[in-house]
Amino acid sequence: MTDGAAQSSSCTMPPRRSLFCKYFATLFVAAVVPLILGAAVEASFGYRDQRRQISAVLQADARAASDRIEGFTDGIRDQLGWMVQLPWSGGDDAQHKIDALRLLQQVPAIVSVSLLDETGTERVFVSRLLLNRTGRGIDMSTDPAVQGARANKVWYGPVQYQRDSEPYMRIAVAGSLPAAGVAIAEVNLKLIWDVIAAIRIGETGYAIVVDDSGHLIAHPDISLVLRGRASSGSFGRIKHLVGATSGAAVITGDRGKPVVALSVQAADVGWTVIAMQPASEAFASIRAALWRSSILIAFGVLIALALAYWRAHRMSGPIKQLEEGVERIRTGQFEHRIKIFSGDELQQLALRFNEMASELAISQQKSARIERLKQFLPSQVAELVEHSHELLEGQRREVAVIFGDLRGFTAFSTRNEPDVIMAVMREYYEAVGAVTTRHEATLIGFDGDGVMLLVNAPVACEQPATQAVRLAIDLQMTVQSLAGKWCDAGHAIGFGVGVAMGPATVGTVGYNGRLDYTAMGAVVNLASRLCNLAKDAQILADPTIAGRVRDSVPLASLGQRNIKGYDQALEVFAVAPADLPLKPPGSGQRRREKEAQDH
Amino acid sequence: MKRREFILLIGGGLAWPAIARAQGAAKLHRIFWVSTQSEPDPFLDGFREGMRALGYVEGKTVTFETHYAPGNPQALRKIVSELQREDIDLVVSSGPATRVMTAVTDIPVLFALSGDPVALGVVKSLAHPGTNFTGSTFLSLELAGKRVELLKDIYPKLRKLAVFSNTDHPGEPLEWRATLESCRNLGIEAAYVPFCGAREIENGLMAAGKVDADALLVFPDAVTLVQRAKIAEFAIAHRLPSMFGWSEYCDAGGLLSYGANQRTTYFRLATYADRILRGENPSDLPVMRPEKFELAVNLKTARLLGIDLDVSSILFRASKVIS
Repeated sequence: MTDGAAQSSSCTMPPRRSLFCKYFATLFVAAVVPLILGAAVEASFGYRDQRRQISAVLQADARAASDRIEGFTDGIRDQLGWMVQLPWSGGDDAQHKIDALRLLQQVPAIVSVSLLDETGTERVFVSRLLLNRTGRGIDMSTDPAVQGARANKVWYGPVQYQRDSEPYMRIAVAGSLPAAGVAIAEVNLKLIWDVIAAIRIGETGYAIVVDDSGHLIAHPDISLVLRGRASSGSFGRIKHLVGATSGAAVITGDRGKPVVALSVQAADVGWTVIAMQPASEAFASIRAALWRSSILIAFGVLIALALAYWRAHRMSGPIKQLEEGVERIRTGQFEHRIKIFSGDELQQLALRFNEMASELAISQQKSARIERLKQFLPSQVAELVEHSHELLEGQRREVAVIFGDLRGFTAFSTRNEPDVIMAVMREYYEAVGAVTTRHEATLIGFDGDGVMLLVNAPVACEQPATQAVRLAIDLQMTVQSLAGKWCDAGHAIGFGVGVAMGPATVGTVGYNGRLDYTAMGAVVNLASRLCNLAKDAQILADPTIAGRVRDSVPLASLGQRNIKGYDQALEVFAVAPADLPLKPPGSGQRRREKEAQDH
Repeated sequence: MKRREFILLIGGGLAWPAIARAQGAAKLHRIFWVSTQSEPDPFLDGFREGMRALGYVEGKTVTFETHYAPGNPQALRKIVSELQREDIDLVVSSGPATRVMTAVTDIPVLFALSGDPVALGVVKSLAHPGTNFTGSTFLSLELAGKRVELLKDIYPKLRKLAVFSNTDHPGEPLEWRATLESCRNLGIEAAYVPFCGAREIENGLMAAGKVDADALLVFPDAVTLVQRAKIAEFAIAHRLPSMFGWSEYCDAGGLLSYGANQRTTYFRLATYADRILRGENPSDLPVMRPEKFELAVNLKTARLLGIDLDVSSILFRASKVIS
């Protein structure tokens, strides 16, 4: 029920919006999807290139920082190397002390220097803070610095945080001759800050240095370094994350914001230099590109919206017009014309539609004319007018042919004035026409006093035989009543009818616009012969008719008769007198007169 | 020129996060300056210079409210109650005033101490102050002995050393003890010449002139810094090779000085002030210590005193030579 209702409502409510929406969506998507796809592909490639480039830049910066840090430690190592070039001899402690003091002057990062002789005993100690010492001091031969330097010539100690705050480390160098002893320098690593702070990666990127266990050694913000081991947790994490990837990694930096970072090892001291740049800055150009793309996309979307709207409107507008046109035509406004000037198929369609409307108008006029005609003409004729093409084409079909003929007309016409004849003829014709119309038969034509009628052509009927017989009876009765009137006026005129049924070729024949509808075939001749055989007030029928109407109208057989043109005699039937009305008085006498005249 | 660059570099290290941000503090910050010294205050000037270098404009983005109680830390206790006012953003205390400021717990306090702030109890550790205090310490104690040694290096004949000290300075007893120990190690007799505050300086110098010393060691503090020209003049007049704590003394005619660069120290303090004004928590800012020490020599004074610098290693060790 609801389905039906929905269906009916969808039928009555045209889905105009939906067509518009479909076109709109399709056009819009067709314009926007390639735009967005293009931008996305561009962005992804851009991101990859940018990432590669950032990697390269960070690599170079980290390498540079690492080189500088190695330069820092190498400088100290080389300076210490000068301290252990010559072997210790007797009493040159003072000279060594001056060398050590010069070293302090030379390298600001060195806080103190210890010079040991070949036995590992301290001979000279100079410091920026503590009192200097010369002469044999403590035995440091078991110190890991001494052992490490003796084993590898150079020894880099672990990073120590003085009072858990300031990073220090010891560097020891042994002379190439064991007799030259060992020089140990204590280095304040705060001074690496100079090296690190000078490194700027991009606008706000920077480099940091952490040792193996993630302790911060150098950072542009020196206060982070001064926090000592406390900060090693977060920097150890960064070192681990950055070390895990070969290229640049995007991680959360020490300020809690995402950074792009890359690490490089400073080989000698075993420290890690991490170069990092805030991701927001590193990807600024790609973000700017994305913004540009987004703006372009937005722009494109707007244009696509406008274009799609316009296009869809251009498409749905004419369709709406057409639909309205159809609706108007349906309500009979044939003068309605659709005006579409899109120059495309729609315009063509509108043109065809207009043609159709005008043809419909003509057809409507025609049918109105036929309606008017029907008031004056038998409906068959009207039908004929309406369906003349198919009905009037030559075809073979079974028809009932009725012939009627006045008796004594020749004598009457020679005896009377033409206007009297015309009056009689007019009455006769009117009567025949009325009967024909009443029985929906086809009047083929009058031939003087004769008349030919056709049943079942061109308009078919259900029981042509019965109808033909009834028509014949009605015709006979009507004309006989007229004949009675004529008799009273002194004119002796009778009427005979012949009915036959059989196949005939029906159709229009004629020449140059003068067309007649007629039937051809043996049945026509037979009906004509039967009419001739019939006496006044008699209706003769052939066996076919008799066979067909046996049940409805009783017919009396008149026996075999020879009929002109037929080799064998044919059984002829007559409508029983009971079915004919009583003859007016004097008709018998008139009939005799008439027969005498005709034969 | 070189020193200026150095200051900027060091200052830059601390101001780094500030530089990373846009400089646009339009708010007027009130800084409470508390000192037991007297005006004129060279430390305040150094701090002001640092703030200017960081882009602060006095009267526009920063104002200083100075409170001095020369030689009388107790007098500052009244000032602490004034700090209940809500519009104070930061307290900077110089020298002994810091001790009084321990009562302040809700306003950030920056200090410049010669002593150990952990021993004083204002911070929990140098790496993590953990309180509303942070600042810088000058490591005076460690340097006290070194100054005696340097004086002996330049003047090997040194036998008796007059130690001129303002007893009004916190940590002064510790400094004197370190100096005394160093003198003992080097075989020098130390003559302690104490005085109390700016008013007694004349008497103190007079007393120093009477101890018959070979050289003069002056503890660095604001009073002697302000009176540095007078003290240097006195030393030359009495033909005493003199040793001071900061190079400013040498500029004024002192023979030697050994210590951290004051301007650098105050510049760093200014960067901490900037970071605190920008919202950083002082408890997370480690206490700073100088890592560079200047040895300044005044050649003119040396000539006046007839000291031959060529025989000692002082000249090549000096980071600043005034001629």
